[in-house]
Amino acid sequence: MAAKELPVVPSARPGTMAAGAAMERIREQRPVIDHQKCNLCRECLLYCPDAALAVDKGEVRVDWHFCKGCGICAVECPVRAITMVAEYAGNRGFIEK
Amino acid sequence: MRQLLNGNEAAAHAARLARVEVLASYPITPAAPVMEKITQFIAEGSLKCNFVRVESDHSALAAALGATMAGARSFLITNSQGLAYMSEVLYHVSGLRQPVVMAVVNRALAAPHSRFPEHGDVVAQEACGWVQLFCENNQEVLDSLLQAFRLGEDERVRLPVMVNYEGYIQSHTRETVDLPEQEAVANFLPLVRRPVLDVNNPLAVNTVTGPELYIDYKYQQDAALQRAGEVLQEVSTAYAGLTGRDWGGPVTGYRLEDAAIVLVAMGSLVSTARIAVDALRAVGEKAGLLKVRLFRPFPAAAVRESLRAAEAVVALDKNIVYGAGGALARELRAGLYGLATMPVYSYILGLGGRDVGVEDLTSIYRQVREQLGAGTTPAPYQWYGL
Ligand code: SF4
Ligand code: SF4
Repeated sequence: MAAKELPVVPSARPGTMAAGAAMERIREQRPVIDHQKCNLCRECLLYCPDAALAVDKGEVRVDWHFCKGCGICAVECPVRAITMVAEYAGNRGFIEK
Repeated sequence: MRQLLNGNEAAAHAARLARVEVLASYPITPAAPVMEKITQFIAEGSLKCNFVRVESDHSALAAALGATMAGARSFLITNSQGLAYMSEVLYHVSGLRQPVVMAVVNRALAAPHSRFPEHGDVVAQEACGWVQLFCENNQEVLDSLLQAFRLGEDERVRLPVMVNYEGYIQSHTRETVDLPEQEAVANFLPLVRRPVLDVNNPLAVNTVTGPELYIDYKYQQDAALQRAGEVLQEVSTAYAGLTGRDWGGPVTGYRLEDAAIVLVAMGSLVSTARIAVDALRAVGEKAGLLKVRLFRPFPAAAVRESLRAAEAVVALDKNIVYGAGGALARELRAGLYGLATMPVYSYILGLGGRDVGVEDLTSIYRQVREQLGAGTTPAPYQWYGL
């Protein structure tokens, strides 16, 4: 059997696994931000272990290439503006963003 | 230029001549003087190198890995407890295919605590995917280190290399060492830049890899390590063209034509065994010697070729794989399997700095000759000099 073509250094695009699986296949849940409640304190930005959050045009946004769905941001948000929702809803498949 | 250098000084000169750019090391006896000497070169201005102070051997190798991924030529030193502590990162470096070069100044592992030489520290890392070279004297330390950079950086290899020499016996003993000219080394060893880390092209390295690909990566890594054996021969030949010194490829034989009983050794024991073979030949014995320079990848084909005509093989192991015997003996038996009914005698000796002299090797030879004559099956392994 021929060996597969792979990069010499095990690596991939940011936010993907080696086989090219997208992050939504890894996340079990994802953060949803209530922009009415959010006061832009930036606490979540500091705590996110993957630097997946940023303030963009006056709103906190998630970079879906990097968010792994750990939920730390939701726990740390002082005004509870972040809710974690399931990424995969059983036989209904993946939830569209 | 000829100088009187101990093994550690020879290693430091090799780092200078190789123009290493990052030295991330944590001091450990008896390897620390290599760092001291290199920092002296940096202070004098004879080497432009970033010396990274780290809090452990684990961090040292992690820093060297990062520097190499950024495209720098990195070097470091360790042994014994430090090498054991690096164990996890050793696999990262080889799996990420980064050509870090490391001098390993072999020393016994605790417990009980010891500062003295043997090969147990490196043998414990036999599966970590690094090229593992052994040196018999200080000239070979310098030459092998220079070859290690070219070997590890070769496009066909792209793997880290450990260059082993023994604590005190080599690290602290002075010998005449011929230093090649900087210009000649620069031609032999051009700086290879292969950066993986690039801020303009972000990449996830060491990615989570599922069952559908992991084994394929491992296949590629092992194939590259196997290629290193072939490339070493080329690199040695090119180096011989430069300096006139040829250490051979993975193995070299000594008085092997018509040899009946062949001693097999690595490291400083090779020089001792060469004298023992001469002494035995002087009294009419058909003794020979096989020097194993490359332990990983293990050059099974070259070993078979060299030992084809021998009647018996004697593995001299300065290491013990507890419950299994000597590492070299295991490799020899596996490599010779099916070739002939040639017995492999296995001796564990010299652990923790116990001296092994010429008389010890001639007496082992005589023991083997007697056992061979009596037709006894060799023991799986035996301890010598208790
Ligand atoms: S869920 Fe975790 S990874 Fe995703 S944005 Fe929140 S803290 Fe970051
Ligand atoms: S921690 Fe909460 S309030 Fe603060 S920026 Fe993040 S989402 Fe907004």
